[in-house]
Amino acid sequence: MAAPPSAYRDRQFLAVIGDEDSVTGLLLAGIGHVTDPPDSQRNFLVCDSRTEKSTIESAFNRFTKERKDIGIVLINQHIAEKIRDTVDKFQEAFPAVLEIPAKDHPYDPEKDSVLRRVRRLFGE
Amino acid sequence: MEGLYFNVNGGYLEGIVRGYRNVLLTGSQYGNLTQCENIDDIKMQLGPSYGDALASLPPNPSTSALADKTTEKLVQDFRYLQGQATGSLAKFMEYLTYSYMIDNVALLITGTLHERDTKELLERCHPLGWFETMPVLCVATNIEELYNSVLIETPLAPYFKGHLSHHDLDELNIEIVRNTLYKNYLEDFHHFVNNDSEMAMTPTGEIMSEILEFEADRRAINITLNSFGTELSKDQRRKLYPDFGKLYPEGMLMLSRADDIEGVSLAVSGVGDYKRFFDEVGLNQSSSGVGNMAGGSGAESKSLEDLFYQKEMELSKLVFTQQFTHAVIYAWVKLREQEIRNITWIAECIAQGQKDRIGNYISVF
Amino acid sequence: MSSGAGREQVFPTRQVLGQMNSKLKGAQTGHSLLKRKSEALTKRFREILKRIDEAKRKMGRVMQIAAFSLAEVTYAAGGDVGYQVQESVKNARFRIRTKQENVSGVFLPQFESYTKEDINDFQLTGLGKGGQQVKRCRETYARAVETLVELASLQTAFVILDETIKVVNRRVNAIEHVIIPRTENTIKYINSELDELDREEFYRLKKVSNKKQRDQAASDKEMKAKRQQEQQNGVKKNDDEDEEEAKDVLGEHEDDDVIF
Repeated sequence: MAAPPSAYRDRQFLAVIGDEDSVTGLLLAGIGHVTDPPDSQRNFLVCDSRTEKSTIESAFNRFTKERKDIGIVLINQHIAEKIRDTVDKFQEAFPAVLEIPAKDHPYDPEKDSVLRRVRRLFGE
Repeated sequence: MEGLYFNVNGGYLEGIVRGYRNVLLTGSQYGNLTQCENIDDIKMQLGPSYGDALASLPPNPSTSALADKTTEKLVQDFRYLQGQATGSLAKFMEYLTYSYMIDNVALLITGTLHERDTKELLERCHPLGWFETMPVLCVATNIEELYNSVLIETPLAPYFKGHLSHHDLDELNIEIVRNTLYKNYLEDFHHFVNNDSEMAMTPTGEIMSEILEFEADRRAINITLNSFGTELSKDQRRKLYPDFGKLYPEGMLMLSRADDIEGVSLAVSGVGDYKRFFDEVGLNQSSSGVGNMAGGSGAESKSLEDLFYQKEMELSKLVFTQQFTHAVIYAWVKLREQEIRNITWIAECIAQGQKDRIGNYISVF
Repeated sequence: MSSGAGREQVFPTRQVLGQMNSKLKGAQTGHSLLKRKSEALTKRFREILKRIDEAKRKMGRVMQIAAFSLAEVTYAAGGDVGYQVQESVKNARFRIRTKQENVSGVFLPQFESYTKEDINDFQLTGLGKGGQQVKRCRETYARAVETLVELASLQTAFVILDETIKVVNRRVNAIEHVIIPRTENTIKYINSELDELDREEFYRLKKVSNKKQRDQAASDKEMKAKRQQEQQNGVKKNDDEDEEEAKDVLGEHEDDDVIF
């Protein structure tokens, strides 16, 4: 049912987990935010092929569960693929998790958690 | 007369560089590259020029990996030349690396201020701007320490000293720091080529002056254009202009007072080339500013930066018509850099399926 | 009871029957309302699905263009700007706010993007080289993110609607397959119990009236016998009394004055 207003009222930021180019671009758009010191937290994570799965997972969980000021989490699809279980498990409405294509990884609707749910619903 | 003894020290290297110049990609080779279907094809096309350097790339590499490898080849060649250089030429080549060092130091300063991982920082540094004491910079824990170690450990110390205090590192935007350094570097380089006992009054001094003046003007114009609508005040802006160049001093003064693109174009109208650039882009600069990327429109119109690059390449090409000069090395490095940019651009266009803009590279041979 | 739904544990009284009847009516109304709600939501849901599909495809294109503009920056700035950008970040310029849209009683949140114009962490990025490309790239990416925000709204709506439709459908099914049959069973049960009571009452009444008739008949008989006996005994005595009364009427009593 309708989420209580408190669930989203303070959510004013976007967060991003992606490869360097995607993150750079999105930061240029101005979504980047670093919270005030002392415990300054960034709302983005740059991943490359060497980034540990656990690092991505903990960032994902931090963005989706701990921080209450993030409304949308953008994640590169090929990175979402690495932590597919965690992404699939996350079914809350807030924050919205959005899988985006990366430069070297064109978008594949087959892999998208949400679109797969869509397909399941229609029994395809 | 000056050519009489040049070959004693510089002849071998000049020969090598001219050899390098001959393997630079030509227009028809670029033509072939643009016909490629994927990065593997590009790799194959580059085979004759880059040979082994690309062999270790995985099949269908990313464009950034391709760029890295081609840069690596440039660095290798450069290091070889540097190993052979003696006397004023060695010094000249060191000057060449300073511009990369400025970028690296700026990077390290930013990273250290934000307490980032040292190893990661060092990986990102440009290999041409590498100096031995670089890792020391990352050890610093506060601004003052960092500032001191920059002064002690880097060849860039003269560019810091007297122009930037350790407060500036903290307070000023890193871009301002970088551009201040660059201004000092250009002035120093200009002074060096014109006053060094071996280079003054030789073709080197003459040619390099022309190139550096162009570089100085380009930076001044770019800084002015890019500072519109930002917090950079006119006073601060003025301080970032190098104190030489074709525009110096009247043009620079007018630049420092310019409020919009018209002001800039008025300021540079005293120099034929720049006036032509502005006339060329003048009309579409304002109209294509916003919607340029919307659908790949504006593909035909070249931006001001493109024209500057074009000019730089033409200057570099002309250098090879001269003999007995160190400037060929500078020109060769610039040409190679442009070549790498071209390759990256073409690879990017192919990888992203944006073939309609693939012709935007700059080829001078 | 025929259906497996069972019935409620109630006393089969007329009052409860009334309650059950109104409950059944309520359930039927609720069912049709919920059914309509579910249909409205599903319609909306399908609309959103279609738009999600479109938006996702659009996103692919938009992001590609944006990535390409970043390639332009790399080309013009002659190097990697990524690190510089990451370190310059301080405050978000591009933010979102959420508002609600009411669809058949379900609040669907919608993200809306806005920019804080006074915040610009990258105004000096590419100052010496490539600044114009950086600016253009910023605009391109900002537009791309707007598309993403739009998509995120759709997707959140999708998740919430999905959840809601499931709940509503569960309720519709519960009403249709459990509550209504059970109430109907209860009503049937009460009715049959009441009928049973009616029949019992009727029989009882019948019995009572039979007995009453019997008693009546017996007492009538008794009375009759008694009367006959009395008639035979008291005929003479009756004649005397009649004469005396007649005399009285014609007696010499003074009449009351009549005053008008």
